[in-house]
Amino acid sequence: LGGGGEPGGLSSWISGGPPEATCWQEAGGGGLRGGIFSHNPTSVQLGCSRIRVSAGLASLCVLAPCPDPALRGRLLPPLPGWLQPALPRPAMLSLPALCMGTLARRGILGTASMRAAHGHSGHVATQEDMSVPRYYDKRSFPLPDVPFHAQLGTEQKALKEKEKGSWKQLSNEEKVALYRLKFNQTFAEINRPSNEWKTVLGGIFIFFSFTGLIVWWQRVYVFPPKPRSLTDEWKAQQVKRMLDMRMNPIQGFSAKWDYDKNEWKK
Amino acid sequence: MAHPLQLGFQDAMSPIMEELLHFHDHTLMIVFMISAMVLYIIMLMMTTKLTYTNTMNAQEVEMIWTILPAIVLITIALPSLRVLYLMDEINNPHLTIKAIGHQWYWTYEYTDYDNLEFDSYMIPTQDLPNGYFRLLEVDHRMMMPMESPIRMLISAEDVLHSWAVPSLGVKTDAVPGRLNQTTFIVTRPGVFYGQCSEICGANHSFMPIVVESLPLQHFENWSTMSS
Repeated sequence: LGGGGEPGGLSSWISGGPPEATCWQEAGGGGLRGGIFSHNPTSVQLGCSRIRVSAGLASLCVLAPCPDPALRGRLLPPLPGWLQPALPRPAMLSLPALCMGTLARRGILGTASMRAAHGHSGHVATQEDMSVPRYYDKRSFPLPDVPFHAQLGTEQKALKEKEKGSWKQLSNEEKVALYRLKFNQTFAEINRPSNEWKTVLGGIFIFFSFTGLIVWWQRVYVFPPKPRSLTDEWKAQQVKRMLDMRMNPIQGFSAKWDYDKNEWKK
Repeated sequence: MAHPLQLGFQDAMSPIMEELLHFHDHTLMIVFMISAMVLYIIMLMMTTKLTYTNTMNAQEVEMIWTILPAIVLITIALPSLRVLYLMDEINNPHLTIKAIGHQWYWTYEYTDYDNLEFDSYMIPTQDLPNGYFRLLEVDHRMMMPMESPIRMLISAEDVLHSWAVPSLGVKTDAVPGRLNQTTFIVTRPGVFYGQCSEICGANHSFMPIVVESLPLQHFENWSTMSS
């Protein structure tokens, strides 16, 4: 990369014309060409106004003011060789874009080309082919479309041949082996209970108790004093008044009072 | 009035309220039966050992659980409509009383014979004599003769209110600019409490209604004394 004076080599990555300033030509060396990367930020921007960003990298751009003033005027270090063919070089020379370079490199590692380079053939998660019959353990669908072990070894094939005969010849272990060939789990294993209910119930109780603590705190620190009609004396007088006024005398309140004996009915 | 922690209705003091009580008993029984059946079915479904879930056709049971609810609904609707039309019966009222809702008190007007009119404010808790009912007592109760059909004309002076007395089975909205009519008969003497039933501002909870029904002679005495 770099190599003296090859602006043309860069133009393949840049949708604009050749860069007006080949700012990174002498990246490894100490000397910088001209005053482009002087500490005067404006001159950098003016010098690179004709460079346009390749489309793929534009999505990684964070066009924010440069967060790190120390990055101003610094070169992007050269990319290692094994990274070069997969990636367009960030070709921006404007000030925010230069600082963005450090951020862009984080997103770069997630691109499809990176995953391919690492041997995942583009997929990070495994994907099932849903267009062919597949095996599953399901309580409501007891007989899956395909057996659990589709490819059988020699002894297993021999066992399957034996299965074609009378089943009385099969020993218990052979029957179990045949079952395990066809199915992954028994019904007992599929329907096995879990301990989830304990977690759920425990969580419920924890939240109830926490709420109870809050309510208790409210009663002590928030609630105003009770109205004076809630004292026992007032309530007794109120009951007497309700009975005197014959409130709900048919089936309700006063119906439960024995007016002759002056007591509640038994 | 209701006693503390009361769940059911207050005793009926008018024939319409009696009808409503019976209708409620009937409907609630149906509701309890349906709920019990649903709970039972849920319990069955949670504890079954059967695992087949791919039933496609169930014509017979679908017929049953469509027809049966329709019958249940008709069983509820017929008594409901009966009570509804009973409420609208013409009953030739002996007296007309107007109740006007204000923020936050009621005005009662007896204008058939004399021009009797008074306001009914709630008695504040601090002024309440011992043993009286907090937030329910008023300074001037609405008096009325018992065993006489009464016509009430309910209206409001400012915002929406609602004139409600549960033991008489009455709740009528008080709409400003409108007269809503309701009629009832009180079968027993006594004092009946209610509260404003339409949100009307800060003191909506503090404008109760108290109706006192008297034998006709006593009512006439009161009416003469008051006007």
